[in-house]
Amino acid sequence: MNSPLARIGVMSAVLAVVLLPIYWLVSTSLKSNREITQEGTLYPHVPTLDNYIRLFTEKQFGAYLTNSLVVTFFSVVIALVAGAMGAYAIARFRLPFVMERKVGLFLLTLRIVPPVVILIPVYLLMLKLGLLDSWLGLIATYTAFNITFCVWMMESFFREIPVDLEEAAMVDGDSRFGAFRRITLPLAAPGLAATAIFAVLVTFNEFLFALALTATPRAMTMPRGTATLIGRIDTDWASMSAAGVIGALPIVFFALLVQRHLVRGLTMGAVK
Amino acid sequence: MANGGTQRRKYRLQGAGLDLALPYLMLAPGLLIVLGVLVYPLWDGLRASTKAYRYGSVVADVGMQNYIQLWSDPQFLNALWVTVKFVALSVTFEAILGFALALFCLREFRGIRLLRTILIIPMVITPVVVAIVFRLIYASDAGMLTAISEWMGAGQVQILGSPVKAFIGLVVLDVWEWTPLMFLILLAGLQSLPHEPFEAARVDGAGNWRVFADLTFPMMRPVLAIAIVLRTIDAFGTFDQVFVLTRGGPGEATRLVSIYGYDTAFKFQQTGYAAALFVTIGLVVLALAFSAVRLLRRVDAS
Repeated sequence: MNSPLARIGVMSAVLAVVLLPIYWLVSTSLKSNREITQEGTLYPHVPTLDNYIRLFTEKQFGAYLTNSLVVTFFSVVIALVAGAMGAYAIARFRLPFVMERKVGLFLLTLRIVPPVVILIPVYLLMLKLGLLDSWLGLIATYTAFNITFCVWMMESFFREIPVDLEEAAMVDGDSRFGAFRRITLPLAAPGLAATAIFAVLVTFNEFLFALALTATPRAMTMPRGTATLIGRIDTDWASMSAAGVIGALPIVFFALLVQRHLVRGLTMGAVK
Repeated sequence: MANGGTQRRKYRLQGAGLDLALPYLMLAPGLLIVLGVLVYPLWDGLRASTKAYRYGSVVADVGMQNYIQLWSDPQFLNALWVTVKFVALSVTFEAILGFALALFCLREFRGIRLLRTILIIPMVITPVVVAIVFRLIYASDAGMLTAISEWMGAGQVQILGSPVKAFIGLVVLDVWEWTPLMFLILLAGLQSLPHEPFEAARVDGAGNWRVFADLTFPMMRPVLAIAIVLRTIDAFGTFDQVFVLTRGGPGEATRLVSIYGYDTAFKFQQTGYAAALFVTIGLVVLALAFSAVRLLRRVDAS
């Protein structure tokens, strides 16, 4: 089963299945609409960057990208700070009542419920607060989602760090919060990184809430903006494929850059 | 899962003033945001699900009427059936392919790192873009399948116009996107298995198949089960890919519950009915998750 020939066979099959669709996306984005629909070429015979230029000059993709970056940045950073502190409190302190065990379970439950379940009330809430089609509305929503799994993931990272280290720091005169900040947090850095990466991925790619909560380039994110190109009858394949490349590029680049941490974050919880 | 057996040491709350309040101060920001943006809406959604709406405002209190109506709504029942079919097929294929690939990659060999890197791409690409990629494959005019078929001298390929083919096309998309996650989880599971039983079995002269059936599979069952549960829960909420690929069509062939709920709320403006639908879906998924956890505990115990 593991002969070199079989290995090469499986490897090339996997590579072909994963990469061919992506090749087709990129190749289509470099063709003119005429070449795409009329000639059906297998590779761009007259490669052009027009489709990309049009996205930024005629179709507001600069704004979508800015919105995505701003919204992702703030909702991940706020969730990490609030989540790390919350996770630490649950991991380290004896809390009264049922809080100690129940807060974690409660957040996990919220994480399990498909987000679509609260789509309508969140929409109504943002409508009431006048936060539809704004950065703030999206940031608030994404931050809340991110906190649920930030707490859950980071709690287990904090538990793995020995309490003795903090106590030693406190003996040396650190306050309890100081020990958390100077000793525990740096030690949990790999866990924090894995959590942050996962949060960036989920937030940048989110579509459903962006679809319901935004309506103009003022706040539309990349996935939401890309979806505006999808017509029902006449599809502008050239723009759509270029938008696909632009939309995927930052996140794929980011993922490959932080690959090791990413795999840890993705598989964590399942294998333990 | 998190506290594996040993009880870890914790601080007792003592002292006075700030020290005593510290854990609450640390918990507060996160809890406040979650309560405001998730829990309050959840409760609000429950309330909305007992109301009838017209043009975006409440017109009547209908109690459980919305929930009862769901079960005699042929469109909802169809959406539920399509969702169950979609989840069952996708997750089954993902588990089989992912497990096979993980077993294959268990032995280190040249090129495995490249393979792992490449396999990360499908699951990190924005789901909307994944759907665009597959529209570009399936489209009858601009599609890759059509281009290949014409290159070989045959005619156009129609996928998204036919109910059966569009549904299969959606399953293929999901398998393409999520088999890598299955693969990574199962590979991590395989790598964490102890070596001794396998060496002992080899010494006893057990063949590949015996080792798999008697050792690998039983030992991997918990990880496999968790991976399947995680994927099932996620697949139940699938929305983006369908919204872009088929918008639920043709007809109702690929209309998952999430799409039906979205249309009910935002296209037909039946806010209360849609809220009831989503609460029902949430309960179904939670019930699924908790019974899976129960089952796992029993497997673990025996």
